[in-house]
Amino acid sequence: MPRYLVKVEGREFDIDIGYHADGFNVMVDGQNVDVKSHSIGATRSVLLVNDRSFEVDVHPNNHEEGRTVFMLGVEINAEVEQYNLAQLRKRAGMTTKSAAARNLRAPMPGLILEVKVEPGQKVARNDPLVIIEAMKMENVLKAQADVTVKSVNVARGDSVEKGDIILEFE
Amino acid sequence: MPDKIKKILIANRGEIAVRIIRGCRDLGITSVAVFSDCDRAAYHVRLADEAFHIGASPSSESYLNQDKIIDAARRSGAEAIHPGYGFLAENAVFAQRCADEGIIFIGPRPETISLLGDKLQARAAALEAGLPVVPGETIEGDDLETAISKADKVGYPILIKAAAGGGGKGMRVVHRADEFENSLQRASSEARSAFGDGRVYIEKYLERPRHIEIQILCDQHGNAIHLNERECSIQRRHQKVIEESPSPVVTPELRQRMGEAAVNIALKTGYVGAGTVEFMVAQDLSFYFLEVNTRLQVEHPVTEMVTGVDLVREQIAVAEGTQLRYTQEDIKLDGHAIECRIYAEDPQNGFAPSTGRLQHYRIPAGPGVRVDSGVVIYNEIPIYYDPMIAKLVVWGSDRAEAIARTRRALQEYRVSGLKTTIGFHLAVLASERFVKGDLSTSFLTEEYPDNKYEILDDDILRSAAIAAALDKFTHERKIALNSGDGNRRAVSLWRNHHRRDRLRKFERES
Repeated sequence: MPRYLVKVEGREFDIDIGYHADGFNVMVDGQNVDVKSHSIGATRSVLLVNDRSFEVDVHPNNHEEGRTVFMLGVEINAEVEQYNLAQLRKRAGMTTKSAAARNLRAPMPGLILEVKVEPGQKVARNDPLVIIEAMKMENVLKAQADVTVKSVNVARGDSVEKGDIILEFE
Repeated sequence: MPDKIKKILIANRGEIAVRIIRGCRDLGITSVAVFSDCDRAAYHVRLADEAFHIGASPSSESYLNQDKIIDAARRSGAEAIHPGYGFLAENAVFAQRCADEGIIFIGPRPETISLLGDKLQARAAALEAGLPVVPGETIEGDDLETAISKADKVGYPILIKAAAGGGGKGMRVVHRADEFENSLQRASSEARSAFGDGRVYIEKYLERPRHIEIQILCDQHGNAIHLNERECSIQRRHQKVIEESPSPVVTPELRQRMGEAAVNIALKTGYVGAGTVEFMVAQDLSFYFLEVNTRLQVEHPVTEMVTGVDLVREQIAVAEGTQLRYTQEDIKLDGHAIECRIYAEDPQNGFAPSTGRLQHYRIPAGPGVRVDSGVVIYNEIPIYYDPMIAKLVVWGSDRAEAIARTRRALQEYRVSGLKTTIGFHLAVLASERFVKGDLSTSFLTEEYPDNKYEILDDDILRSAAIAAALDKFTHERKIALNSGDGNRRAVSLWRNHHRRDRLRKFERES
């Protein structure tokens, strides 16, 4: 039975999945949950959780444990870790480094208007890092976590493509 | 009878181009789309009868390029151009150019566009037509001292606005006299860089105003009517995101007074076609003229839903020179309509644009639901244009039913591949203040100061977690099955584990 630790929007779920001919046996945080999943294409499925119906579309995102779940008209980001590895990691006092804690990528193509940090600088979650102009609007890119800036890869006036690494964190 | 238009070129893209193509088809008029490089597979191109490529993706090289649009009109043999909104819709030079080329511009006369496009001239016209305006002063060419004394006379808080402005650019609220000089300079320089015109004026700043506008329709024979109001108070960055008709606070008596005021300025300026007279409404329901938008508005469908009037059809009829087929008495107000603008934006992150490909896209349906969508599944959302992808417009017999149906429709919407404002709309429509109709243009900043629009309960988060875990599980299983006999993994879990461990150590050490 593979067991996962899943982080979603700041919540953690311990999910144990078994598979048999008729479907899945799922335990969430030690409780049996009735789960039926019917695939409707490469990424989409109808998911019945204790008979509550959801239409979900699950896509990989930019790191191995990451999944992006589109449901109910919103985008939900999840991190799925092997449970045992997560326990080892926790015992060792390490935290997972999500992609957002490793670097800052341009979320859209645009023009760098201002870089508000320099290498070595410690920033807190939600601090403004870079201002980028796209679609005729100024967009402030903020820190997603408490991090230290390792390097700054752009300067004011540079054009960036979507996905370009703008800053790297330690 | 004037000649009927047989072919119309739509100088626009996205949902409004689709809306106008549909209007043309209803009338048996041939529709001509234009498209830029990145819009080759756009929905409006697929729906139109004919389509002409007009250039590279940046709008300056395509949708704003007058030569190329006129050339496409010539080549297609279109007798008229419908500009939609945005792009060339309120460009008096383009309207004049069409007239010179013998092409019908579906909109007001060039002189009217240029008069009403200038906020100072529009304000003067409104005063002449007897409309109430917000107390204010022009400060063109004044020295600082005169400007300061004018600001004192208007009384703080004041608003500094660009004469050529729009969309909130060059606009500044000044609460105290000692902030005035600095704000004046910044507003003026912003106005100069955004519009090439540094002229600004000052206005009394109304606390928590509502934005309520009147739809007007005028023919070329001096007939003008209004089609009730729309309340558009829910705004972010001074741009509307939710609109409704009727307004929850407008009484029949107030509607009549605002409607008459709107018709008066239309008659005074010789307005032709569909237009919108915008008002600020104070909490005591006194109203003040704001500006006239000389085009079809984004939010026109809410008016169509409650009046039954097809505004695009009437625009075309007016352009053909026929008399309005409605009198003021014909205009009814039936039920309630709400529009939610669906943007490819991340509401939790200050409404930053979210570009990408629509990996899945399904629009809602059912009683009362109309979706004016500019995109279909697998479309890319380009970075070059406005990120609005669709408008959800919902009708109900009263406001409560309209809200309930809108929430139902939002829940039916399916979008994968990028972030949208759907969840944001759900949160706002569930808020007590919205349901009560207690609206103002500062609604969003007051109610959601940190941009948190919560709609996800624990049950939903748990289901998302299960979906993600199942995906990982089946993904891992598939790899194992595909790479061996199904019983043995091609790659040992222990090796994977060790690798991962080394990587983590490396990461920790580096």
